[in-house]
Amino acid sequence: MTSGDVWVLAPMALLLGGALAVYLVGRFITSRNTVLACATALFFAATLASVGVLAQRVALAGQTNTALPVWGCLGEGGACLRAARGGLYMVGMSAGMGIYVSIYSGRYLALDRRYRTYYPLLLLMVAGLVGMVMTTDLFSLYLFCELMSVAAYVLVAFRRQTDTSIEAGYKYLVMGSAGTLTLLFGLSLVYWETGVLSLPNPISTPGLWARVGLACIIVGLAVKSAIVPAHTWLPDAYGRAPSSVSAMFSGSVIQSSFFVMVNASLGLGFPERTLGLILMACGVLNMTLGNVMALVQVHTKRMLAYSTIAQMGYALFSIGVGLRHGIPDAVRAGFFLILAHAAMKALAFMSKGICHFYCGTSLIEELKGTYQRLPVVAVSFTIALVGLAGVSPLAGFAGKWLILSELYRTADWVVYVGIAVFLLNTLVSLGYYLPAIAMLFTPAREEVPARIRVSGWMAVPVVGLTLLVLALGVAPGPWLRWSEGLLGFW
Amino acid sequence: MWPDICLVLVLAIPIVVAVVLAVFRRVFVRAAGAIAAGAAVLSLCAAIVLMPELSAGRSPAVALGVRPMPGVDLSLRLDWVSLPFLLTEIVVTLLAVVYGWGYHRPRANTPLFYALLLVFGAGMSGTTIADDTVLFYTFWELMLVASVALILVWGDEPPGGPRRQAVAFKYAIFTHLGSLMVLVALLILHDAAGHDSFSVLRQGVTLSPGLTTTLITLFLLGFGVKMAVFPLHIWLPDAHTVAPMPVTIMLAAAMLSMGIYGILRFPMSMFPIESLAPFSAPMMVVGVISEIYGALMALAERDVKRIIAYSSVSQMGYILFGLGTLNADGIVGGTLHVIYHAIVKALLFAVVGIIIHTTRRRRLEQLGGLGRLLPVTAACAAVGILAISGVPLLCVFVSEWMIFAGGFHTGRVALSIASLFGSLLTVAYALWFGSQVFLGIQREEVEMLRAPRAMVVPTVVLAVLAIAAGLFPGPVIGWVSKELSILLGGIG
Repeated sequence: MTSGDVWVLAPMALLLGGALAVYLVGRFITSRNTVLACATALFFAATLASVGVLAQRVALAGQTNTALPVWGCLGEGGACLRAARGGLYMVGMSAGMGIYVSIYSGRYLALDRRYRTYYPLLLLMVAGLVGMVMTTDLFSLYLFCELMSVAAYVLVAFRRQTDTSIEAGYKYLVMGSAGTLTLLFGLSLVYWETGVLSLPNPISTPGLWARVGLACIIVGLAVKSAIVPAHTWLPDAYGRAPSSVSAMFSGSVIQSSFFVMVNASLGLGFPERTLGLILMACGVLNMTLGNVMALVQVHTKRMLAYSTIAQMGYALFSIGVGLRHGIPDAVRAGFFLILAHAAMKALAFMSKGICHFYCGTSLIEELKGTYQRLPVVAVSFTIALVGLAGVSPLAGFAGKWLILSELYRTADWVVYVGIAVFLLNTLVSLGYYLPAIAMLFTPAREEVPARIRVSGWMAVPVVGLTLLVLALGVAPGPWLRWSEGLLGFW
Repeated sequence: MWPDICLVLVLAIPIVVAVVLAVFRRVFVRAAGAIAAGAAVLSLCAAIVLMPELSAGRSPAVALGVRPMPGVDLSLRLDWVSLPFLLTEIVVTLLAVVYGWGYHRPRANTPLFYALLLVFGAGMSGTTIADDTVLFYTFWELMLVASVALILVWGDEPPGGPRRQAVAFKYAIFTHLGSLMVLVALLILHDAAGHDSFSVLRQGVTLSPGLTTTLITLFLLGFGVKMAVFPLHIWLPDAHTVAPMPVTIMLAAAMLSMGIYGILRFPMSMFPIESLAPFSAPMMVVGVISEIYGALMALAERDVKRIIAYSSVSQMGYILFGLGTLNADGIVGGTLHVIYHAIVKALLFAVVGIIIHTTRRRRLEQLGGLGRLLPVTAACAAVGILAISGVPLLCVFVSEWMIFAGGFHTGRVALSIASLFGSLLTVAYALWFGSQVFLGIQREEVEMLRAPRAMVVPTVVLAVLAIAAGLFPGPVIGWVSKELSILLGGIG
């Protein structure tokens, strides 16, 4: 018997129903790209609206100190979905990005066609994500994680006419499956020892197998969130997928896996301070490796992918310090950076996608003359890159400012070393952002190229995201309020 | 009400005009230079209108009403510390824009060039009149972004010299390192005070002595990068050489002084002067080393633009020496030197620009005997060369006198004597430069181009300014001393 607050089901139902509806429309009525894109965008918008309603209910529950809204088979051994701040934040971010991406795909996907599989896959991927971050038991977590991953594998290999896409998708499939299998193994060990699968379920005195299980859960999800050294699938996946998919990924796949990793391990009673230390170490590794590898890339999208690893490193470090030293504001700053990064990176991928769509560019060097051909794109790309480099007053700077201002007050020399590495890294990162920007504004060698008119389907999301990046930087206030108190189930 | 509007206009006019130029760049290809100069003139007028207000003892201040985060309140304020810097900035921007008319032949992207010059200028004026740390840092970065873009797109590549991209990146990354140190220090201050407004910070922030020392170190290093004192100067010679001439003028004459403004604004006015005492000797030593090193490098250089660029390193050494004395003479002298150095350095770069433009040569061994061919320029150059050598009745003499006097007041006689003798090297490279370029015979036959009037007029104006400032130093010294009585609570 299912019961509870039906609104909790709304995001999942909208996305799953949307996937089916869009597929059926594509199969039987019309498979015109624009129609399907609009329908998908509408479903994402409806999801976002339902997240808004749920957020109000959660806030109300917080004020009246009552239980969070849930829906599903309640009681012993039941499985249900639960709306909590953190989950809604991740869902809202992905659904918001989904709106932009599906409008963008309305033109961009002319490169790849097969519209009626693409849009349902996007919706299914986000549906898996919704289940993953909202579920209250470990087994559903695994199932939804697989749903999200399978959709993501296919999307990465969507440009199937090129070998490299297939290879990248295959690599992602192998590594991702290894990750989910480790996760499954871990949760079976936890179940074996405790007999419970529900979350939160703090294990007070874990035995050996529960410890191993917890470690497996963390490692499995760390592979999914591309934490160094399990990051190797990411540059290929981001670099070879269609740009619209890369844009969609930048705020959803690895971020939600990371969120679930932290939330589930805390829910299973993993000590906060230890987890904090692990995240700090991973953060430092991530930012250093990401930035250094980005320096030597020649493909624009691979460079952006390594920059994602680096930016996740900043967020990881901040959240790690917050957990280790009990500073909620540092955790908040980390999640704010995740949001800001999603917006900036999606903007960068979309701008890159427009260059690719009209001029077939893929190397950084080929961005030459973009300013003459596509002035608006050159400006939006620059704003994205400058924002990622953390120049005020753009989104990245607000993130950097918040993180630094929270971190330095922990009188802990490890953190200070981390801050030094962080600052050095932001400096190193200029070494690849600046040349890319310079390329955009370098005139092309041959005769002056003609200006290209960008289709409205791609121009509107790019301009919208540019405004979002500016808004995040100039007025971080409201966004910050949303990124507060995301971890935990209460 | 009226002064507040003027304060906003100082910033708003250049920024709005820059946006208009960038948006309607097709319409304004020819008129862009004139429009930009008009904006700079209006901005200057707005700043001048504020001066009676300051003299009457009021400080115009505007809260912009923007609170992006709790504890952050964007606001502007003009006081005696900012005024000398603000006026220098705007005048230099105006002259650089006018100089640009002659230097820069109108092309399709010319409006963007002038728009960026205005944004660069606005970044500097914003830095000087910002009254809170977030706005200060935002404008601080704006000036970096604008100048990097200018070097990147319009920089010239001397044959065999460095590539402009590499130079722009070196400049950006190196000065960004300084900015990051400043950012960390600003964050610590912001956290300790709980608010980012300077007025809250000025009322006193309680910090542990260790933290105070860390903060002062961070500030001095961070601003030292912008000042380009030895050994933090390595970005400067390349950036100055490759930047287009109007940008070089703005970099050398105005942007370097932002580092000094930062030192005056943060370590010197936020902390009691005693807490700076341990830094006094190091600052003076670094000042002397910079002074001598810059002068030696200027003597060794063969590229005329690089000679004047290294001269900046040397001159910044004087200023750091002056600030390091921590007494009224030294600090007033240092701040005066900022203004005078701006005039003289802009003058010398303007002269170099004319030389390069007319002869299309830039190495000493290719030049010579230009005195007869370019009499007006040679006369202006003579003024600049004599001024930078510290000849009495020209402007730099006054400030150098005060800086050395401040040095002797500290009792560190050996350092002061070293610095005094170091100034001999300044005379040496200035005279060497002048004699090689303007005297003797022309070493390479070149077909001389005519010097555009738009380049000659600002040069002459600067030369007149250099003489006038030397003959009548009274008013400027008056402003600067007022700043210091506020800043240091009336020491000396």
